[in-house]
Amino acid sequence: MTTLVPVRSRIDWLGIVFAALLSLAIVGPLVVVGTWAFTEVWRYPNIIPQQFGFRFWGQTLGRADVWNALVLSLQLSTVVTLLSAVICLPAAYAFARMSFPGRNILFFSFLAGHAFPKFGLLVAIAAIFLQLNLIGTFWGVVLIQLVGTLMFMIWIPVAAFQAVDRRMEEAARDVGASPFRVFWSITLPQAGPTIAAAVLLSFVGTFYETEGAWLIGAPGIRTMPVLMISYINNQMVIQYGAVLSVLLWVPSFIALMFARRVIGGGAFARGFGG
Amino acid sequence: MSEVAKAAARPLMENAQSRRPLGLLLVAIPVFLMIWLVVWPAINAISRTIWRPDVDGNVGFDLSSYAFFFSDRYSLDNLAITLWTTLVCAILLLVICLPIALYLRFSRSRLSGYVQALAILPMFVPSIILAFAFIRVLGPNGMVDILFNAVGLPKIRTPYLTPWGPVIGLVWDNIPLTVLILLSGLGSVANQSIEAARDVGANALRVFRHIILPRISNSILVALSFSVLGIFSSFTLPYLLGPASPEMLGPFMQRTLREVQDPIGAMTQAVIAFGFCIVFGLFYVRSVARNQGK
Repeated sequence: MTTLVPVRSRIDWLGIVFAALLSLAIVGPLVVVGTWAFTEVWRYPNIIPQQFGFRFWGQTLGRADVWNALVLSLQLSTVVTLLSAVICLPAAYAFARMSFPGRNILFFSFLAGHAFPKFGLLVAIAAIFLQLNLIGTFWGVVLIQLVGTLMFMIWIPVAAFQAVDRRMEEAARDVGASPFRVFWSITLPQAGPTIAAAVLLSFVGTFYETEGAWLIGAPGIRTMPVLMISYINNQMVIQYGAVLSVLLWVPSFIALMFARRVIGGGAFARGFGG
Repeated sequence: MSEVAKAAARPLMENAQSRRPLGLLLVAIPVFLMIWLVVWPAINAISRTIWRPDVDGNVGFDLSSYAFFFSDRYSLDNLAITLWTTLVCAILLLVICLPIALYLRFSRSRLSGYVQALAILPMFVPSIILAFAFIRVLGPNGMVDILFNAVGLPKIRTPYLTPWGPVIGLVWDNIPLTVLILLSGLGSVANQSIEAARDVGANALRVFRHIILPRISNSILVALSFSVLGIFSSFTLPYLLGPASPEMLGPFMQRTLREVQDPIGAMTQAVIAFGFCIVFGLFYVRSVARNQGK
């Protein structure tokens, strides 16, 4: 708290302490996992591995369960994201631009899912799916993951549509452009990047969704995170999990790059109620 | 000019009228999904655990599943460990994130960008990878053991599979959003008011207590509500890092539903979780709605 009045000339000791502690606690564990992924032999108590190499990459990628899980995860994420975009984007446009009875209350009703502890709600949904025989099926997992994307895919695009300059649209209408033409040439290009970020984040979020997939999908549906759970619980070869972690982190990294614009400017934190 | 404006305005108005049903139609599917898969399951869980058929098949008011939960030693232990974990995580999150947020808000050094990037990084690390990393670092013969051994210290008592395992993992996981929410709250604290207070001789602690704290108390509550909602019924980290017994409510519900195959028991546990979180849930929703309304 000594930095309340910033003094430029002094060394930023507090910053150095924070940077060091956070590097240790947050980057440290990830570096250890990364090291394990490129390790062939690492016996306790050596500080660095005895032998580095790519042997376990070949072995991990050669496993049928890894490929099945990867294909399944990509299928699920694609289906969920497409469905979510198809049903949510028109709804977002309606919320942003049209007036209809109950508009506000319906808009805020999407918050309902966040008023409950998440896993409790998943269990309540699973109890219904049990009666509908959706447990252990592809579409059961699609439905539960779709619900997880709803609020995200409506609220961010609504903000995007609202940010579009109405005067440009009206000007286009004045010179005779059809409503569809206006939407295609004026509205979409302006709202597009933010919507694309929302779509990407929902794809990545679905890819990593673990709890719904495990609760609803097991044992038939084994996504990458579910496979990873079983590797953590009962796989003796540490490197399989490490290689999978590094592989799994790639989509997250892409999301990190793209999400910077959504997260920047505090808009993201406000969306969470900050 | 005004005629053109009128001519343009009129069809727009008429359109707005004629689009009324269209707007409802466009939002119908997501709203239906939300009611079917959020509102209905919650109502269904409550009603099916309260009105249950008796031995003759007559459905009547029956709280026996709740009576069982609150008289069963194992269930109560699980509830206690859940409450303990949530409380400890909330305190730790505040103790860790408030100084970071204060530093980020008021520092102008170049390091603050790096600190912020690190504080937000866990958001992009899936909890499943976090669990794996945790075991490799703090687990038996993990990195900490290796480093301690190298400098001649004894092995640590590993937090893996103890109640501290989920605590460490959940705090790690929740740092980014807590910092972001606190930081966004700190944005409303004006530099002038702090400078004014310092000019009249207030020290850092008094500035914090009397100027900063009152302005960000709402953000603190929002951040705490958000993390409590997430932590209370968390599943992945307690399941992978926590002890098998007592277990937190998340793994307990999952086991009751899928392994014991007792949906009524699982729904009872879910409703109890709803009950404990309802204050935080409503507060959180109210804050988000108010923020959006602005």
